[in-house]
This record gives sequence, C-alpha cells and structure tokens, in this order.
Amino acid sequence: MTAPLQVLDTRGYPAFFRFRELGERVVVTSIEGEWIVLANDEFRAFVHGEVDPTSELHRRLTERNLVRTSFDARRAAEVYRRRKRFVHYGPNLLIMVVTLRCNETCVYCHASRADLDAVHTDMTIETAERTVDLILRTTSPHVTIEFQGGEPLVNFPVVQRVVEYATEKNRGLGKQLEFTMVSNLSLMDETKLAWLLANRVQICTSIDGPKGLHDKQRKLPMLSAHDAATPWIARINAAYRDAGLDTTLYHVEALLTTTKETLVRWREVVDEYVAHGCRALFLRPVDPFGFAEKTRRIVEYPREDYLAYYRRAVDYIIELNRNGVEILERYAAIFLTKILTGDDPNFLDIRSPGGAGIGQLAYNYDGIIYSSDEGRMLGAMGDPTFAIGDVRTSAYRDVVGHPTIRAMAIASNLEGQPDCVDCPYVPYCGTQPEHNHKTLGTMMGRMRESSMCAVHKGIQDYLFEKLATADAETLEILRRWTTIRPREHFLQNAGE
Amino acid sequence: MTLRFHRTVYAGTAIDAALQRFAHLANTTFERREEGDYFVVEVTSTTDARTKKIARELGNFALGLTIENGGANP
Amino acid sequence: MSELLGMPPGRVDADIGEGAVTITVDASVYPLPSVYAAAFTFIARCWVFLDRDGADRLRIVLTAKTPIDADGLRALAGEMSNELLASAWRREITRLNRGLIESVTMAAFGGAMGPPSLDELEAFDFADEPFDDPLGIAQSWEDKYKKPKPPAEGSEGGTP
Repeated sequence: MTAPLQVLDTRGYPAFFRFRELGERVVVTSIEGEWIVLANDEFRAFVHGEVDPTSELHRRLTERNLVRTSFDARRAAEVYRRRKRFVHYGPNLLIMVVTLRCNETCVYCHASRADLDAVHTDMTIETAERTVDLILRTTSPHVTIEFQGGEPLVNFPVVQRVVEYATEKNRGLGKQLEFTMVSNLSLMDETKLAWLLANRVQICTSIDGPKGLHDKQRKLPMLSAHDAATPWIARINAAYRDAGLDTTLYHVEALLTTTKETLVRWREVVDEYVAHGCRALFLRPVDPFGFAEKTRRIVEYPREDYLAYYRRAVDYIIELNRNGVEILERYAAIFLTKILTGDDPNFLDIRSPGGAGIGQLAYNYDGIIYSSDEGRMLGAMGDPTFAIGDVRTSAYRDVVGHPTIRAMAIASNLEGQPDCVDCPYVPYCGTQPEHNHKTLGTMMGRMRESSMCAVHKGIQDYLFEKLATADAETLEILRRWTTIRPREHFLQNAGE
Repeated sequence: MTLRFHRTVYAGTAIDAALQRFAHLANTTFERREEGDYFVVEVTSTTDARTKKIARELGNFALGLTIENGGANP
Repeated sequence: MSELLGMPPGRVDADIGEGAVTITVDASVYPLPSVYAAAFTFIARCWVFLDRDGADRLRIVLTAKTPIDADGLRALAGEMSNELLASAWRREITRLNRGLIESVTMAAFGGAMGPPSLDELEAFDFADEPFDDPLGIAQSWEDKYKKPKPPAEGSEGGTP
C-alpha cells in the first residue's frame, strides 16, 4: 500500500540570501543588494521556509525578491547590472602630484613630503603635459584631475599650465572635465585665488578640528596652520556667494583624518566643520601609508575605538540635522546611496572591483604612474609594487591593462573573497588591495584581520540599525544624504 | 648544505634557472643531481653561515620561479 | 625540534635555534596551489621551503631572515595557518564563482582599456599562441555551433 505523496508548500522558501545578526535583529540581503531587517523570530521562519504566504512578512519579502517561488532573476540581473555600471568606464579620477614640497608637517601625512628647497620634486611642464595627454586617453566620459602634493600651491605655474593645456585638448574630445585641488591654503593669496575661481578649480582643504587639535597635528613653522587656512575657507565661500552660486552646493570641501586625539573630541570636530560652513564631514580613519607609519604609536588606535567615535559623531550630526543644520557624514552617504537607491556613487575605495587603475590613477611628479594615491605612497616608502608605468614611455592601454591592475581587480572583487562572499554587505562594500598589501602582506588580504573591513562592517552595522529602528524624521535625514546634486559650475567648457 | 626539492612541488626548470642565476657567486659551488622523487642540490661555500644563506636564498628563488611557472607540472 | 605553545605537536614544530617553524598539512584540505599562494606571501621575510611528507601531506618550513624567538615563531606559524586557510578557501570560492568574477573583470577591462588603436593592432603579433579562451568568446558562431561556413565568393558550389 503506497502512502499519499506529500506536496511541499514552497511558497515561503527563501531565495539566495546572506545575513548578519545585529543584536535582536538580522540583516538579510539578496544577491543583487535588496535588503530587509528581520526580528529573530521572523528570520527563523524565513530560513525554515515557514513564512505564511498570506502574511505581511511574506509580502515584504516578496517585494524584495527574497522568496524563491517568486524570485525574479531578470529583475535581480538588472539591479546587479545597474550597481556595476561603473565597470564599463575607465579611470575618472586622475591624481597629479605636482610637487612633494610642502610648508607643513602633519603627523599622519601620507604625502612623503619634501622641504621647500627640494625643487627637484616639482613636476616639470613637460611631464605635466605628457601626463595630461595620457589622462585624456581614458575611456571615461567624465574626468576629474585632482592636484595634490606636498602642497600644490608651491608649484602653481604647473597647476595653471595643466588647467590650460587640458582644457584646450579637451575641446576636441568633449569630456566632462573638472579640476580639484587639495591644499592646506596657507600659501593662498588673492592673485592665486582669483585665477582658481576664474578657472573653476574646486578647492579642498584639511581641517582636523578646533585650532588646538589642528595645529598640534599640522605643524606650520612660526604660525598657526588653523589660522592660516580658515580665513581662506570663509573668503572662498564668500566668493562663491558673490558669484551668485548656491553655497549649499558650492563651498570649500574639508577633509578630516581621525587620529587618537580626535577620538574623544568628536563633538568639537563636528562643531568646527559646521562653523566653517561645511556641508559634509568625512570621518576618515588614519591609514597605514607614509609618515603615519613612523608615528603609528602616536596616532593609531583600535578600530573598535574608532567605531565608537563614529557612532557618537554621526548621532550628533543627525541631531544637528534635526535642528536645521545641514551637514552629512560622507561614509554614511556613500553606503546609504548604495543601500537605499541601488545606485553606486563610484567611490573608488568602496566598490567591487576596486578602482585602482581602472577607476583612478596617480601620476607622480617624476612621471611614474601608480595604481592610486595609496600605491604612490607605498612607492615613496620604497615599495614599487603598484608602479605601473611612466608618462614618457607608457601607452594608455598598457597602463590600465597592466598585470598588477588585473591582479588588483581580481583581488578586490568581493565575490572571490573569503568572508566577503558570506557577508550581507557585499553588494555595497569594497576593499583596497594596497591597504591589504601593506597591512596583511597580500593584495587579497584576510578580511577577518583587516582594519578596513572592520570599519566598513561597523559603519554598515550602524546604518542598518538606524534603518531598522530610527523614527521617520531620522530616516528622512538619512535619505536626504543620498541626494546627489551635480555641481555643473565646475565643469570646464560648461555651456559650450 | 643539501637541498632536496620534490619534483612534484618544484619545477626542474625553475631549479635550473635559479642555479644559473646564482652561478656567478664567488667561492661557491652547486652540484645538481636527481635521486628518486627529488632534485638534489649540494651547495658549498666558504663558511657554514654563507653556505646556509646562499642555499636558502636559492630555495626561495626556485620556489618563486616555480610559482611563476604555474607549479611543478603546469 | 620543539613544540610551540598552543600549536598541535607533530603538525607544527619549531627549531628555535635556527629560527624555523615547520607546518605539516593535509594536502586534500590545503591543495598545493593554495600552499604556493600562502607560502609566497612569506618570501620577503622568511626562507620558505616546501616538501612532501608522504603521499597525503605537505610540509612547509619557514625560517625567519631576522632573529626570532619562540613567541615570534608561534606568531609566524599562526599567520601561515591563517593564510593557508584563506588561500584554500579562496580557491574554492573562485571555482564556484568563476563565471561571475570573469564577467565582471572582463567588463571592467573592456571598459577601461577601450578598443585598440590602429597602431596597437599593427603591432600585435597574430602569429602568437592564442590566448586561453575558456568561454569561447573569440570563436565564431559557426565554429562554436559547428554550422558550415558559407562558401567563399568565386569558389565552386553554393547557390548561383
């Protein structure tokens, strides 16, 4: 006698998913980056395929393409493809180190600075022009040339020549060309500023916090680095306002490097940025390149301490937003854009595959080409692993197709990375081969030991906790941080 | 010092290339032979310490070339 | 040879005088390519020697290039163990996700490099050995699906 065949009800079975426990909740993501945060009992029902097909939970799971019987592979592929669309274009961020000379000495400096008499570390006009020729070979329709140093204002004539030469060459190419300059502003004057404003060069600077903290970490002989920089922030922002530009969009961008001293002064740092009219604060941890290595014991800290500081600072930033102060945190904005919009803002260190070589390149003063600024820093420290060409001799395709770049693209593909492959944050995350190489001995790295992974994971834990538990006002604040407003004023040939 | 390279772990061509690169070292001799599953290299130099160091560097070089080669039997 | 604190004896042994640690692994768990990958990462700071230990095991000897004590050797052995695990697991993941990794990587380099210039095409050696083409991308549709090619113009056969 045969038993009746039991028909399994598979309507509640889960599609492919990854998960991570966050206290009383579980973050679940799909292969294409759809997400949901479940209570523990909901997650148990989901895993066992026991979610009632008529329930609200089933509806939410279906909506997010997490139910096997209704899994839409075409939709998943389309979402995945959209997230990865940056792969179809070549380098869009091109860093030109126009000099190593600098008038400041910063404890965490990863620029391998040189003294002001080291004129041999200035990029020549000839090298600069060859660099621009190579830069404009990129397949990316959008090009940002970022002037770095040392202090770029020390070699201002080359900055001027690059802007002039690149703009002229681009007339026949039609790329969306922009220039930015990262400067400590202490060598700024009205003549230079007038030229930079007239030529629409975006200006970025570093602010480490209130004066005492900033000056302790950034030494300017005989002067206060803070006092030398901050009036120029106000001056430049006023110039944008006088030019009729919306200062919520056009203003000096400032960068922060979090050192051990910064960790306990998070409130003062945020207040300092707000006081200078900054709309974004990037709570970057210290990295292992350059001078920071030598002073590691002074500036470094466990990543758990950094994450505690991050949470406090961003909670405070959110509170300020509630009180009408518009300022966002950049890490949060990057991850939230990926999580909430399905788009990728193409931040080159947080994408898979990473941007080294195929999204960005760094051109040193001597014409040597590196995978990234971090690769260049390792070169300055005596490790030439990430040197991939020379502007005098290398062809564009040989640079971006260099075996080192190919290895880095594979090393930074999270779908091939132990730990990442099981992590729910893999659709939103990224690793940096140069960082892995420096800290863990291989480009691949071991994520369980990676300080960068700890930071990325910790930030995303914080954000998903917020997304799961925050009130409507906070969620709206976080959603606003994903809004990307183009700054067309800085496009060269705009309106032509 | 005697180095024994298992033929399924080290490429014979890599060992030969390594020996060629090290051949110029002053006052140092290398004797290569095969014994069953092993490529055997006898390294002799002026002092024990120098011999050891050269032998170990040769081993690293042969391993590196083997890996670049795709293994002992690619 | 001595044991190292916390390390399995017979699997991890140390010669503290020589500054060396020997790790013996099961070759079915840590295949030789994974051992190569892990071992190579130590070449800068250690002399690395690999050997077979019977049919089923591989032996890895790490000798530090700079003076090292027992704690240092223990750390070295621990780091090698972690790297071996990472390499072995990565090999397996790559095998399972090969299609996805290849397609993203090819799209990335196709996008970044762009088409070759006429000068680059002229310089390319077409007589060279063909590159490895596991997905058959360079194959014509006819070759791939075994359909007959149309006869060349002027040749016998074909429709008048």
